[in-house]
Amino acid sequence: MAIGILLALLGGAFVCLQNTFNANVKKHVSVWSTTALVLLLGFLASLAAGLAFEGSRLFEFQAQPWFWFSGILGVGVVACVTQGVQILGPSRAISLIMVSQIFFGLMWDTLGWFGLEKVAFTWQSLLGVLLISGGVLLFQLGPRLEQHNALKRKSVGMDGSARRPL
Amino acid sequence: MRGIFFALAGGFFLTFQSVANATISTGIGTWQAATMTQFTGFVLALLIVVMLGDRSYLNLKTVPPLYASGGMLAAVVLYSNMTAVHRMGVTLTIGIFLIAQLVAAVMIDSKGWFDMAKQRIGRTQIAGLLLMIAGVIVLKW
Repeated sequence: MAIGILLALLGGAFVCLQNTFNANVKKHVSVWSTTALVLLLGFLASLAAGLAFEGSRLFEFQAQPWFWFSGILGVGVVACVTQGVQILGPSRAISLIMVSQIFFGLMWDTLGWFGLEKVAFTWQSLLGVLLISGGVLLFQLGPRLEQHNALKRKSVGMDGSARRPL
Repeated sequence: MRGIFFALAGGFFLTFQSVANATISTGIGTWQAATMTQFTGFVLALLIVVMLGDRSYLNLKTVPPLYASGGMLAAVVLYSNMTAVHRMGVTLTIGIFLIAQLVAAVMIDSKGWFDMAKQRIGRTQIAGLLLMIAGVIVLKW
């Protein structure tokens, strides 16, 4: 359990770091070229780590055919996230994406699809997911609300010339 | 409406990806799964680049090497994700991943690190993070 939590904290921090680096690449390079580069480097890094830890045993495996199509999911992620951000803007899109992620997680744990170990559904876990979702929405959309209120307060309190919301 | 659909689908694919990776790693091993999924994803993305006739990769020369090498972090992300899903299920793994992601974002944005626009961190963001942590505690209590 403790190891799982520590790894998830490390992994999440690295996701953010990677998104930050990728955002800088996308200033110069298109989304799909960036995605191809990121996946190529991810492949090389995983290959290197695998060889370091397991040597040639890395290549001794028997994959089910569908394993080879797993890459489609990553492409689905990039396509949907890019479209969502373009239409809704980053803060609204990312908040929806994260809320969707955690709710589908609860669904998956409950149903145990794809050979995943079932985790029994409880009302408590639904409450936990609702709290996490609320936190995500507050985090992503809160700054806009604060801005909005500051603007209102200013325009009411002073001469109404608050052009630059802080 | 269309934007909402894409955002929800994006979340679905992200969760599906975590689950599929965890399942594949049970079948053939963690590093094998990481290597394979990144490889197949790369081949597909490359195909899309070729089909679009996209040549913007030529601009890579202007990208600082640190940022261009961000993809390598995926090895750590994938290993942690698969191991965490095995140990504590998808919901809890995603919950903690999201918290760590947003805490890291707060740190980077407040300092303006890595060429990100420096942003003040509002009270609602701290409150949001605390609410998420409360959610994870409720989830696991």
